[in-house]
This record gives sequence, structure tokens and C-alpha cells, in this order.
Amino acid sequence: MNIFWREIKAYRKSTIIWMLALSAITILFLLLYPAFTKDVESTRKLLSGIPAAYRNALGISLENFFTIFGFYAYLFTFVLLAGAVQAMNLGVGIISKEDAGKTSDFLLSKPVTRTKVMASKLSAALAILIITNIFFTVASLIAAKAVSTGSFSLKKFLLISLVLFLVQLFFWALGAALSVIIPKIKSVIAVTLPAVFAFFIISTIGAVIGNDNVRYITPFKFYDFAYIIAHNTYEWKFMIIEAIFIIIAITASFIIYIKKDVRAAS
Amino acid sequence: MNIIETKKLTKYYGKYRGIIDVDLQVEKGEIYGFIGPNGAGKSTTIRTLLGLIKPTGGSAAIFGKDITKVGPEIKEEIGYLPSEVFYYDDMRVIDLLKYSASFYKKDKKQIEKRIQELSGLLDLDLKKKIDDLSYGNKKKVGIVQGLLHEPKLIILDEPTGGLDPLIQQKFFNLLREENARGATILFSSHILSEVQKMCSRVAIIKEGKIIKIEKISDLIENNTKRFALETVKKADKKDFQIKGVDDLVITDHSVTFLYRGKINDITREIAKLDLTNISIEEPDLEEIFLHYYQR
Repeated sequence: MNIFWREIKAYRKSTIIWMLALSAITILFLLLYPAFTKDVESTRKLLSGIPAAYRNALGISLENFFTIFGFYAYLFTFVLLAGAVQAMNLGVGIISKEDAGKTSDFLLSKPVTRTKVMASKLSAALAILIITNIFFTVASLIAAKAVSTGSFSLKKFLLISLVLFLVQLFFWALGAALSVIIPKIKSVIAVTLPAVFAFFIISTIGAVIGNDNVRYITPFKFYDFAYIIAHNTYEWKFMIIEAIFIIIAITASFIIYIKKDVRAAS
Repeated sequence: MNIIETKKLTKYYGKYRGIIDVDLQVEKGEIYGFIGPNGAGKSTTIRTLLGLIKPTGGSAAIFGKDITKVGPEIKEEIGYLPSEVFYYDDMRVIDLLKYSASFYKKDKKQIEKRIQELSGLLDLDLKKKIDDLSYGNKKKVGIVQGLLHEPKLIILDEPTGGLDPLIQQKFFNLLREENARGATILFSSHILSEVQKMCSRVAIIKEGKIIKIEKISDLIENNTKRFALETVKKADKKDFQIKGVDDLVITDHSVTFLYRGKINDITREIAKLDLTNISIEEPDLEEIFLHYYQR
């Protein structure tokens, strides 16, 4: 457990910043909800004036936008984007920082197996993501309840909120795999941002051209909010796709890390 | 039983040579020197022994256990000090040492006591942040970190770089104490004199291969020195037809040469000359290799 706690401690500050930032943006956005719904008809008119392709790209759905869940789901697109960056930063950084900081020699000359190092680090990253999600969900739940006027389904709300964690899991696993595949990672953010934005752009383009096949490629579209709001559940097909990806990525990262030569410090 | 035993240990980095067919036998209680120029394969051998890199051929055992099969169990009893030390910049020295200690099964109180002892001896400030330490002080952290669990095998990879002479002295004394306590030491260096001072036997590695394993007593008998003389008159080549003289260069007022052999034999000859200056230096290893071991 020593490595696990060491990592939790090392990421304490950045985790607090991520939690506060994610929650603050969401709360701020939710506080705008009453302004949008004060005059539904004229806002609807305004929004329908925007070309459909543009609306789709922004993730605005006219049926749902004026319900608290539709509104929450809309702003959630951006929460997912930010959350993906956090998760992938963790996945890439928590392993590659030993290499970048040249501390691998220290760590791996201790009586500890590489399997244990990897397991401790990945579970520390996972724990950080769970803590972030709990904090975020509670904070936005309080805000959503405060501004919601109609009936409020806790299940719907939690289902939407949990998408953050599910998408983060994808990027956590992707980051872990890349951190052992890319030989020299000098800057974590240089790996994370291009990857996250590539997936995000794919999902935006898919939405604009109305191609549903991109849903199989990008985690940002695994969980369709309109579907969740309508059916109160996720689409299992995509959950399974994600699960398979995560299992492959994490297994690969363990196998490669165990076999890898540690780069010499000098 | 040998503490370290390698058999035809080989490591290639892709096409590049690391080490080839390295055979080492380090006996219990020995201070074993491991010497060779930079890039010869000292660090590669050590890092392979520690499981940081995987051998591409041959085998190695520490405490009689295969290094590729039982890593953690072996490392419980190894203290390692790398040539260049890197630690977590966000930690304080004491945090790093405690983190290091947390990996070992040994009694935590005893380790803590040892940390205090060692850092006191080396004059290391435990409260400082790693990031704020000078290179020499980081190296001290490395020493404490390597010795705090009283390991049975101490592996040192060019350990003295960055340490001032006083601390170096303390460090060597510390190693002798550890050795007296029963610890075996593998001491890698490219500085012949420090190996001579510390070790009983020495393996010489060059271009990835062990070219010679010698007792230090033999090495000292064949002590190699670089002589530089300034003479009043141009010296005669004939004066230096002594066995052991090599790389002789005579100019109008100077003579330089390498000498390997009994010191008395050469000083007797030099005493016959009219000198204005003399310097006798430790040749660097490259020179020794160039002039003796290459043949």
C-alpha cells in the first residue's frame, strides 16, 4: 500500500483543483438554467433558428434542452472533455513520471515486483477518479436540485453523472497503455491533449454529418444522453465495447511494463 | 556459496552491445572492485543484476537465487547506490527515506534509528526538500537510502562522484564498517585508486567483456603511474630502457612516460637525472588499458 498512498499524496493538490474546477463550471452552468427556461418559447425559437447541423455539433437537442436533464446533459459534453483530460493525465503521468524523473532505478531496485508497482499506481489513479466523481456528483446534484422546477428523477441524474466516470475509465486505460508503449514521454500533456481532442473532434464530426458509426470509435459517444433520458439506462453494446477496450489496454500495459528495460538515468 | 555469480551474462540493447559473456564470482564478505572505462558495461552489469534490465543471454544468481525468477526476495537484502541519483523533487529528505524504508520487511524502529545515525554522520539535513539539495547532498541521500536497511549485499555504481573528500572518507569508513559487519560489496568505478584502496579483488571490464580478474595486491605490485619530468638537459633514451616503461616521449627539457612496476626501481633511475620538476600521477584507466591490457 505504500506506493498507493504515496501517489494519492503526490496527486492531492491537482485532484483538489480538478474537483473544484469541474464542479464550479457545472454549478455555474446550472445556475443559468432558470434564465433559459423563463421564456421557453422564445428561447426555443432562437435555438431552432440555428442550423440543425450546428445544433447537433453543440449537442443541443430541442426536445430535451429545456428539461433539467437535457440542460445538464448539454453542459455535460464539456465536463466529459475536461474529465477525459484529467483521467488521461493520470493514466499517462502516474507511470511515466518515474521514467521522466529518472526515479525508476530507485523504485524498482526496492523489493517490490513490477506487477505490484503497476497495480498500486493504477489503483491510486482509479481511486483519485472515484473521489473526483463523488465530489463532482454531489456538488452538481445539489445545484441541479436547487434550480430544478419540475419533477426530479435521481436515477436519471445519476445515470448522466456516472457517464463522466465511464468516459474517464476509457482514458485512464488508454493513458496507462500509451505510457508504457511510448518510449520517452517528456510531457504528459503533449500525449493527453492530442488524444483527447482527436476523440472529441471525431465525435463532433460524427454528430454534424449524422454518422452513427463514429459511436463505435469515440468514448464521447458511447453514452447517448437522449437515449439515457428516454430509457433510463445505458446501451449495453457500448458498455461491452468499452469493457473490452479497458481489459485489453490494462493487460497490455502490465505485460509491457513487466518486460520493459528501465531506461538508464545517465 | 558465492553472493553474486554470473554465467555468460549477456545483454544486447537491440543491436548494440551492452555486455558479453560476463562471468563474475563475488564471494561472501568480499569488497569486489569492478572497473572499466565509461561505456564498458559496468552499469549494464549492475542494472541487469538488479533486474532493471533483462539479460538477453546467460544467467545470474544473487544469494544463490536466479535474478530473473526471484526479484523482490533478493532485493530485500541489497542496498544500491547508482552513479547518478534522482529522487522525487516534491518530497523532503525524511519523506524519501521513510518511503524507501517502507519497502523493507525489517523492523521499522531499527531502520529509523539507522537513518538518524547515517544522516548525522554524513551531515545531511533531513528536513530539506529534495529539490533544494545540491548534487553532493542528493548523493548523501542515496547513501543513506542504500544502507538504511543494513543489507547483506551493497552494490555501488561509481559512488564517489559529487562527494567532497571529507565525506568520501566517511563514506569509505562506513563501507568498511558494513563490510566488517558481514556485508559483501560490489564496487564499480573508473577510478583505479579508490578501487585499490577499498577492494580485495577487481574485475576489469572493457567493451562489454571481462578482460581480467586480479587481486589488488597484484595490481599494486604492478602499480602504473604516469611520470612527467622536467630536465635541465635533454635526457637520453637509454636511461629509460627499464622494464615497465611505456609511451616514452622525450623532448629538449621534458620526459613523459607510463611506468608499471616496482616504484623503487624507477625512482633509483630518476635520481640519477638533473631535474627541475617532477610529477607522478595516477594514469587514467584508458591509458592503462591502452598500454597494458590491450596486448
